[in-house]
Amino acid sequence: MSKNLRINKNNFIDQTTRISFKFNGQKLFGYKGDTLASALLANNIHLVGRSFKYHRPRGIMTCGSEEPNAIVQIGNDPSLTDPNVRATEIELYEGLDASSQNCWPSVNFDIGGINNFLSPLLPAGFYYKTFMWPASFWEKYEYFIRHSAGLGKAPTKSDPDIYDHQYSHCDVLVVGGGISGIISAKLSAEKGLDTILIDDKSFLGGSTIYQENECYKINSVNSNKWLANEIESLKNYPNLLVKNRTSLAAFHGYNYLLARESLTDHLSVNERKGKVRQRLWKIRAKKVIIASGSIERPLIFSNNDRPGIILSSSIKKYIDYYGVKTGENISLFTNNDSAYEAAISLYKSGVKVNVIVDIRKNSDSLIVKEALELGLKVLWESSVVDTQGYKRIKSFEVMKLSDDGYNVVGNRSKYSCDCLGISGGWTPMVHLFTQSGGKLKFRNEDNVFIPDENKTPSNQISVGSCNGEFKLNEIVVNTIENLKSFLSLNNSCYDGIKIICPDEKSKRNIWLLPSDKPIGKTKPFLDFQNDSTAKDVKLALREGFKSIEHVKRYTTTGMGTDQGKLSNMHALGIIADTTGTNMGELGTTTFRPPYTPLTFGAIVGRNVGKFFDHTRKTAIHNWHVKNKAEFENVGHWKRPWYFPKNGENMHQAVQRESKAARDSAGILDASTLGKIDIQGTDSSEFLNRIYTNAWSKLEIGKCRYGLMLNEDGMVYDDGVTTRLGENHYIMTTTTGGAANVLSKLEDYLQTEWPELDVYLTTVTDQYSTISICGPNSKKILAKIVPGLDLSDNNFPHMSFKNTKISNVNCRIMRISFTGEHSYEINIQSNYAEDVWIKCMEAGKEFNLTPYGTETMHLLRAEKGFIITGQDTDGTLTPSDLQMDWIIGKRKFDFIGKRSLYRSDTIREDRKQLVGLLTEDPKEVLEEGAQLVENINKKPIEMLGHVTSSYFSPNLNKSIALAVVKSGKKLKGKKLIVPMENKNINVTITDTVFYDKENKRLNA
Amino acid sequence: MFIINCPYCGERDQTEFSCGGEAHIERPKQPTELSDDQWAEYLFMRKNIKGVQFERWNHAHGCRKWFNMVRDTSNDKIQAVYKMGEKPPVK
Amino acid sequence: MLSFNSPIKEEKKYNDLKIVEIEPTIKINLRSNKREFSTKIGKILSILPPNEANTSSGNENYNFLWLSPDEWLVYSNNINHTLDNQIELENNLFNEISKLNQGAVTNVSDNWVMINLKGSKTFDLLSKSCPFNFKDFKNKKGSVVQTVLNHVDVILHNKDENDLNLFVRRSFSQDLWLWINDSARFL
Repeated sequence: MSKNLRINKNNFIDQTTRISFKFNGQKLFGYKGDTLASALLANNIHLVGRSFKYHRPRGIMTCGSEEPNAIVQIGNDPSLTDPNVRATEIELYEGLDASSQNCWPSVNFDIGGINNFLSPLLPAGFYYKTFMWPASFWEKYEYFIRHSAGLGKAPTKSDPDIYDHQYSHCDVLVVGGGISGIISAKLSAEKGLDTILIDDKSFLGGSTIYQENECYKINSVNSNKWLANEIESLKNYPNLLVKNRTSLAAFHGYNYLLARESLTDHLSVNERKGKVRQRLWKIRAKKVIIASGSIERPLIFSNNDRPGIILSSSIKKYIDYYGVKTGENISLFTNNDSAYEAAISLYKSGVKVNVIVDIRKNSDSLIVKEALELGLKVLWESSVVDTQGYKRIKSFEVMKLSDDGYNVVGNRSKYSCDCLGISGGWTPMVHLFTQSGGKLKFRNEDNVFIPDENKTPSNQISVGSCNGEFKLNEIVVNTIENLKSFLSLNNSCYDGIKIICPDEKSKRNIWLLPSDKPIGKTKPFLDFQNDSTAKDVKLALREGFKSIEHVKRYTTTGMGTDQGKLSNMHALGIIADTTGTNMGELGTTTFRPPYTPLTFGAIVGRNVGKFFDHTRKTAIHNWHVKNKAEFENVGHWKRPWYFPKNGENMHQAVQRESKAARDSAGILDASTLGKIDIQGTDSSEFLNRIYTNAWSKLEIGKCRYGLMLNEDGMVYDDGVTTRLGENHYIMTTTTGGAANVLSKLEDYLQTEWPELDVYLTTVTDQYSTISICGPNSKKILAKIVPGLDLSDNNFPHMSFKNTKISNVNCRIMRISFTGEHSYEINIQSNYAEDVWIKCMEAGKEFNLTPYGTETMHLLRAEKGFIITGQDTDGTLTPSDLQMDWIIGKRKFDFIGKRSLYRSDTIREDRKQLVGLLTEDPKEVLEEGAQLVENINKKPIEMLGHVTSSYFSPNLNKSIALAVVKSGKKLKGKKLIVPMENKNINVTITDTVFYDKENKRLNA
Repeated sequence: MFIINCPYCGERDQTEFSCGGEAHIERPKQPTELSDDQWAEYLFMRKNIKGVQFERWNHAHGCRKWFNMVRDTSNDKIQAVYKMGEKPPVK
Repeated sequence: MLSFNSPIKEEKKYNDLKIVEIEPTIKINLRSNKREFSTKIGKILSILPPNEANTSSGNENYNFLWLSPDEWLVYSNNINHTLDNQIELENNLFNEISKLNQGAVTNVSDNWVMINLKGSKTFDLLSKSCPFNFKDFKNKKGSVVQTVLNHVDVILHNKDENDLNLFVRRSFSQDLWLWINDSARFL
């Protein structure tokens, strides 16, 4: 087991810096520059996880983000542990502690492995078919399904890491740092464009940077050396920003892209403290160059999923880049030339490939010739039909292909191995292209979907192998030529470039390789993570699923954390073959963001904890905090809810506050109400049109309550508006409605009535509002503004005065939301806290009691005043609220007027606002409780519901408001409020419970 | 996220805007003369087109001005923006 | 005398970034689509309102920010002004503009909180939560933009190179101040 498969080679790994890490508790060593996968392979560890459904042992299959199997749990700290991390992507750091997922008790002995033997019983759609009946068993099923669902373990405590967001704007964004990306970035930077190049690896250069084969030359030097120089030259451009370890997650319309930069994931835990872990870049690029490359396809044959079966290009990278042998007895299985490159790389590193199984009849390309000259053995026109070995491949069996490739002939011959490289050709990574709205076309010659240049959204281009160009000369020359027109370049620094590369021979494509056994007896895996096989896809087709999207969901092919990067093409191919359709007509499933999974932290950024949502605070907020207010969120505002004293609970505090306000005096911070300054010669006409009542005759200095409707006749907002001058008003709106009301009013002014001379300016934050109510409010105000005549004659209810408090101007309105004699002081916000304090001092002798929103709600409910949004819900007309008095019937028009006599709004059995008293005066109803008449008649008819309910200390009984069908006609009617444990008897009453004659307003 | 060319402020991120639904639906000048059905037509009936659609937008977090937009809902391409009261520059 | 309580009252320094609330300042919101408006204003303030979008005009006393084709924000440069100066200016403008039906004049001195950001990291900080492209803005002295910063409406006025004034509604200001200080740690 603990062999060292590292070769001594000058490559990209810093073999002087040894790093220790743990895998499944075992202490191991790797080097700086390793990924977890390369370090494990160097330690001869292939078995890293278990598959999702059958718990089959699985190994490292790739070397990049397409990895389906080698996904691990990082760490075990309850707040820091990270599930579903691809071992092929995580860079090794000191102290890395990784463990296998989806196995119990261990990856070597996994109880769930029994599912593998039960697999004939677990076909596609197993869950859909099995857990349907009986319905009452669902709760039991659910327990087991949930238990076995998911791969890694989510952290159980909140994440202490820091995540950040950053917007960025550039002329050109290049996605991918392979050879085409490097050329693109340089051409763009050379032209002087602001350019960003992002690449998900720690090191630029893609697969060319470790291409040491001398068949590949650019301008007479080896392609890897040439590219290294190019990368070095990028440093000369100050207008080029290179972002390593940055993975593009999403490509949205209008060239808006999201990219995740990993800043500390490669550092040891100690080096991470206080630093941003990941940053989500929100990039707006004028132009986007996609150079996302391609990935190698696997081959689909029975038992193609065993640990030790690796993509041949990955074998090449492990040996050339990391200096790691993926085995000591390696064979290759291919349908194209690229496996021969892996064979040559291995040979040069001292590993002679045992045998190359090639399904083609032959190939005379340079690279194949070179392999043959090295004495490598090739089995032409042959296919692997099966493999053996449970936790690591031990051997594979080969048969000769029939002429047409649909069958195998002859006998099985067996070869031993500890690693089998597979190569099924290449798939362009078109995810980003299609995410952005681009459409694909199918190229029949080599069975690939590539971007359709006629259906490419503007200002973007795909270059290199993601555009279906696989030969080095094509990649380089086409990239340069395409970019010249894309970036409007006359000439480029690459003009006259000379490339030598082997002329690759075409692959032979067989989606599902034939076997000598019937498909029911084989296990040709398509989706390695989700354990769906070719026979699952065929079953889905037999059961009538036609659409590729349906087959995907039924079989779960392509639905794992890898989103089927390896499996989708084969699934499509098998569907096309089975149904006799052309793949181009079949289309693909939808590629959705993110390209690779994002952490929730990166998505949320700094909007956590106190930054989860913003809060608005009044100018008197600090006083409320000092005086132990409990706060309530109203819109974004923090409003004092109640002010508990001496350990009072909410009920006790509210009862005390409510009593004090009516017995002597109460004070409320009403600053959150929306305030709109209205000026212009048509202001009165404007108010006539937006409120239901008439405004033209309101005298200067007077206030009026107004009700605003939607065009559908339903109550929208309400508030008091004051006439400050001939053409000057100040409107108040509800706290929650302020922004919407202003926007709605602007809408009407700008679009329907542009002829009106009216200007609206919000002054919600400019003025703070202090409301003092109660029989002693006048005496308190007299102490604050001694010079002002507060007599009812001079300053009657519903009027206002301009005055000064000390040196500061203020407006005092005499208006009341409690039914008490009361005043509202409006003053510039920066002086409000001091005025509040002065009021408290002046009110001391009158027990002036600060109260919050709850008491405010209670006091107004005693008076039957509505709160829009609590007693109304957008379905009530003024008439439903028994507020017919506020409708200016003689007005020609106002918003919503026509709707007030639609057939529906004049129905008499609409829900209407009523008062409710409980039979037991101590019983307080629950807001939202239903009202019924007959509890025995089934189904029980719901007549309405409670909208506001309180225990009134001033009446010493429970009161409530409710909306009830035909409520207006039902005064005195007894109804029932059925609750979980009891039925409460109530009587419908008038909505005004307290001081019906409004005597207290002038008390 | 679109980039919207506000007719007053220039190109801005979609975040700054809010959409107000279908454009060119004029509020009847004399609502009282309309039948229930005619009023309902104005009040409730809106097109929801896959293709070129005329919309009202508001630069809510900028100049607060309303304007009109011609947008192809099938690919989100904004074909034109124009001020309130102006005729659509495209059909 | 009532005591004056602006919401932030702090000054903070980070690497290449200094942030401070500047108070008190007079701020007046002006709205008009009348022809004589410009001349009238010019007489009172000795500056003409900017007509070009996203720009400002100014002199030693006042800055005049374009907000929309019929809306401007005027703010004073002098922090030594008294409350009486504020009232005087407001009344003067109100009588000459609003009373004569030439537009609307609204005192918004306490509606907006003005925060000054100075230093080479200013725009990096803003770009953490503002989708606006500052490329042209930062190279043009006097440019103005209304946009959103951390989901809150702001007005930004580019005073000088890496020196800008940010206006935020008073009730949002403490929250935004906290966010600015938090984000400044990660520049």
